[in-house]
Amino acid sequence: MSTRWYPIYQRGNPQLRIFLPNFWMKLVHTPLRQQPNIVHFQCSMEMTKHDIKNYLEKIYKVPVVEVRTKISLGKFRKDIGKGYVVKDDDIKTAFVTLPKTTTFEFPNIFEKKKGDVEDDLKSLEETKKTFKQYIERNRDRSDIPSWFSI
Amino acid sequence: MLSIRGQRVFTKAKQLTLRRYAQVALTGENEYTETPNYPQIQDMALQARKLRKRQAVYEKIKKIDTIEEKQIALNMPRYYGWPCIMLSDDRFPYSAMPLVQFYTRTHFKSIETLPTAYSETSELADSIVNEIKSQVEDCIVMENISIRRSDDDQLEESQKEDNVAKNIVRQINRIITNNAADKVPHILPSQVDYDPRHEAFWFMGGSNVPDNVVNWRKQYAPLKDRLYEPIDRPVQYKGTPFLTVRNHLPLKPFVPYSEATNPEFKVEKFSYFPESVGYTVEFRHGTNIPGFWPGDLDEFGLLSFHGRGHILNRKESYGLQDNLEALHCQAMVASFGWLLAQANYQGFTSYNDITYPLSTQTVITNGHFISLYAYQLNTITMNIDMIDKNMKHNICFGTAPMKLFETIENSQVKGLNQDVLKMLVQFYLNTPEAREHEMKPYLGKDIQVIADIEDDNRRCWLEDRYKHLVSNRPKHNLLPEVYLWEKIYKIKHKTRFFEAKRRPFELGVNPYKRRLDEHLPPYIPKALRPYPKARKKFETTYYPEV
Repeated sequence: MSTRWYPIYQRGNPQLRIFLPNFWMKLVHTPLRQQPNIVHFQCSMEMTKHDIKNYLEKIYKVPVVEVRTKISLGKFRKDIGKGYVVKDDDIKTAFVTLPKTTTFEFPNIFEKKKGDVEDDLKSLEETKKTFKQYIERNRDRSDIPSWFSI
Repeated sequence: MLSIRGQRVFTKAKQLTLRRYAQVALTGENEYTETPNYPQIQDMALQARKLRKRQAVYEKIKKIDTIEEKQIALNMPRYYGWPCIMLSDDRFPYSAMPLVQFYTRTHFKSIETLPTAYSETSELADSIVNEIKSQVEDCIVMENISIRRSDDDQLEESQKEDNVAKNIVRQINRIITNNAADKVPHILPSQVDYDPRHEAFWFMGGSNVPDNVVNWRKQYAPLKDRLYEPIDRPVQYKGTPFLTVRNHLPLKPFVPYSEATNPEFKVEKFSYFPESVGYTVEFRHGTNIPGFWPGDLDEFGLLSFHGRGHILNRKESYGLQDNLEALHCQAMVASFGWLLAQANYQGFTSYNDITYPLSTQTVITNGHFISLYAYQLNTITMNIDMIDKNMKHNICFGTAPMKLFETIENSQVKGLNQDVLKMLVQFYLNTPEAREHEMKPYLGKDIQVIADIEDDNRRCWLEDRYKHLVSNRPKHNLLPEVYLWEKIYKIKHKTRFFEAKRRPFELGVNPYKRRLDEHLPPYIPKALRPYPKARKKFETTYYPEV
């Protein structure tokens, strides 16, 4: 269930009463790929199809018809600054089919409200102003780092 | 592209030397007309030019004389085969109906009784049912109770069900044909196939562009605006019915051909990836085989029987309604597949639409439940150029599964459903009819199959090539592989740029784009070349020019 090493219990130690599985599932946005009743998840490598089904049904009360999984190869990238090729972890993707009458729409998490843009602009102006003040203050000692101040 | 090192022939140079006295041909006084006669102005946009190029290929395939050459022509662009979406008649994922309907362009109509076309055989069917019902009861009892199958414990439930159903279907077919042979003229000359090979291949437009295609296009700047340009997806159906009956005449259409464009029959578009529904992609040559080879005279299907053991393999969570839909899907895809293969034997292809409707009847049974389907094929072109323009749709009438009998008690069948048996008999009594129009407009007048070709070399070569192609055996030399280390250190990250570039991906060769005829023809040893001086080192190939 869990790959965590729990400390061996010694008499007198506080008892660990909670054992958490390292099961997690991440919802992925993949528009135009599948019918609205199919949802993509990335999940922990240890989870089997049955685990995924139980996870969604028991914890989130989501009706699940079928689960298909695949493990895709992690990306190869150049380590920044080092130059050698490193590989990211593999990803387990779960394709969860809901009953065909249900539809799932990916939520817009970072939705902008009406006043948000103005607030952002205001804070940007503020930052610009303080930066200008800082430049002004240190005009005649340009080669000195910012932390070296009175 | 891989180059062919053939013999050195200076055709261009020969032309230059031979045509010493050639001159421009004058058309005489008719060069000028009263009103200016301009050639048609062609759209020179890239899309339009590409469309014309594709249409030229369609036209070339249409003009090919023989059935087999047309099939080779469909496969000409791919040496290692097309990446086909595989449809079968015994595996249907959850919620398969929208995809199957769109990919076969079929409108499904649920019915309780048979269409009106069957009403005229009602009385005859009643009398036949009365004569055969005791025999049918006997055969059901026999197959269900009296036979001990020794390998039963090694088989899956679905296989067991199919085995019983297959035997019952063969018996019922025997009983009905024996009885009806002297009552209607078309049954005796019909042929019966056991476990025939049904395969069909077509191109499907209208689906979203796969990620790998988009990513490939992103590499090249000129393709920047064309990332999501639609592509054809090849589809291959493979199925094995229990039994089929076919005749030299086609069945009558169930609805008039003009009804095909009826907007009522419109099918909803399914543009999602078939892989996301649960279908797989396999590299193979496209094949169209309706259970017999070209040249067989009985080339129109009347009736086919399919098993439904696969329903037992489906998950319980799919539910009964989805199982019912899976049966409808099976009927649609099996009927469409068989008719498409038959249409291909009439000279039509996925690029050249049929000019008249074809119909077939499909029965899905497990020996206890029977569902009956009547299918009419109106169109077979669904490629990117036609998917939006083509207004025709195919039509499938189908019943829900009906019980053939209630139970078996004390070695007796209880409650044989005579109505169902009557419907089945009516399927047999549906008389095929000669059509008044031309059946094979796109085939040659005298030469329609390669067996008609007189040139021995050409005929034998084409026959060998066709049979080898549709066998889909693996290539002798497998596809050049890109090893994972190469992908990491040579393709993704150019860490070995100083090494000599010898591998296909370094030379800019895409092995998947290799054409079917891009190979060295068989070598003729010197001893076998005709005397005295023959410089022809390689045998001739007869690939169709597409």
